[in-house]
Amino acid sequence: MKVRVDLEVCQGHARCQEICPQVFATDDLEGKCVILSEEVPPEHAQDAMLAVRNCPEGALSCSDD
Amino acid sequence: MGTTTDWNVPSHVPPERVVDFDLFDIPPGLKDPAEKWHRLVQSDVPRIFWSPRNGGHWTFLDYEDIREGYRNYEVFSNRDTPIPPVDNWPVFQPQSVDPPDHAKFRNLLAPLFTPNAIKNMEGNVRTRSRELIDKFVDHGRCDFVRDFSGILPTGLFIDLMGMDALRLIEFMKLADTFMRVDTPEDKVRNVADIYAVLEQSLAQRKSAPLGNDIMSVLLRAREPDGSPFPHEEVINCMFLLFVAGLDTVTSTMTYIWRYLARNPDARSYIRENLDNRSRLNVAIDELFRINAVANIYRRIARDVVYKGVEMKTDEKVVLPNGVANRDPSVFDDPDTIDLDRRINTYVTFGLGPHRCIGSHLAKAEVIIALQQWLPRIPEFHIDESQPIDIFAGPVMGFRTLPLVWG
Repeated sequence: MKVRVDLEVCQGHARCQEICPQVFATDDLEGKCVILSEEVPPEHAQDAMLAVRNCPEGALSCSDD
Repeated sequence: MGTTTDWNVPSHVPPERVVDFDLFDIPPGLKDPAEKWHRLVQSDVPRIFWSPRNGGHWTFLDYEDIREGYRNYEVFSNRDTPIPPVDNWPVFQPQSVDPPDHAKFRNLLAPLFTPNAIKNMEGNVRTRSRELIDKFVDHGRCDFVRDFSGILPTGLFIDLMGMDALRLIEFMKLADTFMRVDTPEDKVRNVADIYAVLEQSLAQRKSAPLGNDIMSVLLRAREPDGSPFPHEEVINCMFLLFVAGLDTVTSTMTYIWRYLARNPDARSYIRENLDNRSRLNVAIDELFRINAVANIYRRIARDVVYKGVEMKTDEKVVLPNGVANRDPSVFDDPDTIDLDRRINTYVTFGLGPHRCIGSHLAKAEVIIALQQWLPRIPEFHIDESQPIDIFAGPVMGFRTLPLVWG
């Protein structure tokens, strides 16, 4: 599974980092999403998916390719 | 904040969309100001309605529309939003400025409020929380607002701004007055007093070497031509930060402690998970969903027909966060408080370019306060023999919350 962020839509809620810190972090300038691992390790796929679904801005997406 | 009696229904507003709802009114016997919103939603009013009170304004009740109100800043502007309307309302950077101009202050302040920056403040939040609890833990009672939630944000504001810690008492009095005054005259005097202290603090800060606090950042900032930021913009921004982090955090905390005082199962669940950060985060998010205290204002920037409803330039819109957070089309079983809720896209901190800049600090304050409080005061209740004073409006909450334990 791959995850992507649209930084035009991200507003720095940091819900993704809270839910799945193995895959998502935040930057030091605006607090926006930084994807640590675009290819999500299988053991974190469930949490990463939960992070995507909890983004209140809808800035995250995931795909199987 | 007074309530105007002016009854305003513009001719383009269809009668079926007019609802007599007063944002500031407290119906007799009401114990929780959020309850009046729940009653309104259940009373089958239009999901977009016009209230003729307080100068007249729209209110959105659906999550989808509240989300649009936050994100579509070209239609729903942040400039000149007060309800009832106020002449010559100041511009408070960055809150009352629309993109892209709001970036001037927002980008300057943002690095101080990122999750990583807030981590560096956690020790300070811990110390301040512990010291406040020390003062009343042995008494078996406190007034939670007066002794804890009304003080913690002010102490942290002083630190974050780079103000003299000796000013804490002075600021606490101003903050206390800010949250309690009712008459417009007292409000004006209180705001003037706050500005005077902010002016003194800024002058004092200028005379010492600058650091990484907010006043230093504002003083160091330069316009493209190399000149400092205009004094008025700087001082208005400081006022905004004082006010924004004050009654919102105080009210949210008070709501959360009130909920915990009434729900022993929630109390013990949170206590058991104080060191389990991932479970704690999920629980805290649910507490923030169900205890949203702000009803946010926007202004229609240009004539528009939104979802078939004609809205005119300069009309105001209220976005009640707590209503969005209980929209059944977004939240499963929205009226149930589920501390293990998996999907929770609540809007308590707003959405879009003006997402509450202090959201990570607010969360840290609640989490750390719970970590300090629950091991020392695991069981506590509301002293039902005392009257509890509540208020409604753009921020809703309790002016007192008498708690007892032991």
